[in-house]
Amino acid sequence: MRFMVFVRSPKPLAALHTDALLRAGVLLDSGDLVPHAFGVTGYWLIDVRSREEAVERVKRIPLPACVVEIRQVAVV
Amino acid sequence: MGATTSVHRTIDAVWRMESAKVIAALARYTRDVGLAEEMAQDALVAALEQWQAEGVPKNPGAWLMTTAKRRAIDQIRRRENFNRKVEEIGREVQEATPDASEGVDDEIGDDLLSLIFTACHPVLGTEARVALTLKMLGGLKTEEIARAFLVSDSTVAQRIVRAKKALSDAGVPFEVPEGPELATRLASVLEVIYLIFNEGYSATQGDDWMRPELCAEALRLGRVLAELAPKEAEVHSLVALMEIQASRSKARTGPGGEPVLLLEQDRGKWDWLLIGRGLKALERAEALNQPPGPYYVQAALAACHGRARRAEDTDWQRIATLYEVLGRISPSPIVELNRAVALSMAFGPAAGLALVDEISGAKALQGYHLLPSVRGDFLLKLGRAEEAKAEFEKAAKLTRNEREKTLLLERAAACGN
Repeated sequence: MRFMVFVRSPKPLAALHTDALLRAGVLLDSGDLVPHAFGVTGYWLIDVRSREEAVERVKRIPLPACVVEIRQVAVV
Repeated sequence: MGATTSVHRTIDAVWRMESAKVIAALARYTRDVGLAEEMAQDALVAALEQWQAEGVPKNPGAWLMTTAKRRAIDQIRRRENFNRKVEEIGREVQEATPDASEGVDDEIGDDLLSLIFTACHPVLGTEARVALTLKMLGGLKTEEIARAFLVSDSTVAQRIVRAKKALSDAGVPFEVPEGPELATRLASVLEVIYLIFNEGYSATQGDDWMRPELCAEALRLGRVLAELAPKEAEVHSLVALMEIQASRSKARTGPGGEPVLLLEQDRGKWDWLLIGRGLKALERAEALNQPPGPYYVQAALAACHGRARRAEDTDWQRIATLYEVLGRISPSPIVELNRAVALSMAFGPAAGLALVDEISGAKALQGYHLLPSVRGDFLLKLGRAEEAKAEFEKAAKLTRNEREKTLLLERAAACGN
């Protein structure tokens, strides 16, 4: 199942370590969003086996002072 | 109750994420994959007990790793097998215990790669390799593997036990093969991953949900392998092939579950994100400038369709060329038959017919219904309806698939008298 992870970060998103997602073979896509009042924003689209795995994987990424929202992608 | 299941699900997720790394790191010390896997399982049982009472620790991966290593020491001691291994692991645990979180991901690459090569060792039969790979690399439970492959739990459990024993009996070293051995060993790994993918891909409606899940499992394994062995073109090619095939999963069956042919699929239902990923993986393979392997050609063929937004945009000339390349790598009359179809699409039915007539004597094609079916198609397009009719009727007699038989007889009837 796919999850969209929205990240709002005071720092450029490129500085965040998404290597772990890539190496685990779960990162399908990532990109920047138009800047937000809070700061820089971006997204990761991940394909994992459960909601818990999505949460656990994002928890492992150091995201100092970031606001993260994890949403499941609907299957049409 | 609710909290318990939620902790359970979290532990499941953590296990799937971490177990391969734990087993791989343990196997480096114990030099025994079977023992490493048992110790990792023991650590999981310990985690289930402790985490349910105290909550999931901040770094569950490191917790599992440390616990498993301690269990390994205990186990070896209990077997009164005091040797250097104990000291080695002992030192390692001492060093690792304060904060095992750092560096776990960085140094684990080689161990993971060794684990993949060991689980897919050619000394094992295909089924054993598949079961061991899903269990040790995918973190699947025995019962999940059983459900995915429509066999009993005990069958899978036995396969795994025997596989571990076979590895230990054969004295398979825990390492990444080098030199001339690498090519055959890698081929064995890729075969296993693609088998897992195809097993999931062949799932039909009403099958257990665990079956199609195998496709996602194989894709993740392939992507992981591509990061671990980035200089192997065939790895990227296999990933490309799987991404592009997976992109069609929603379009390849109709509302009644009947298969929809590639050229008749609604391309709006294709997953263009996966196609894009597949094309990118193919570019990575091409950038390595290695001689084309079988996965490369298959992926390049899939990409020809993936690049076409509409069926009529398909680059059939390139497809015909790729089948020629594939025919050189792994000669087969079936490949030639496919090349004939591509030639007819690119240059007209006469070009296809010429090749079909050239190969029609091949032994492997005798009794193969697609030969007369394809030949009939070319003849019909050339206005030779009577000959076409005879070919369709011949094909109908040869196929065992009822749906196909009906279709072929309908085509024969449409040819007139």
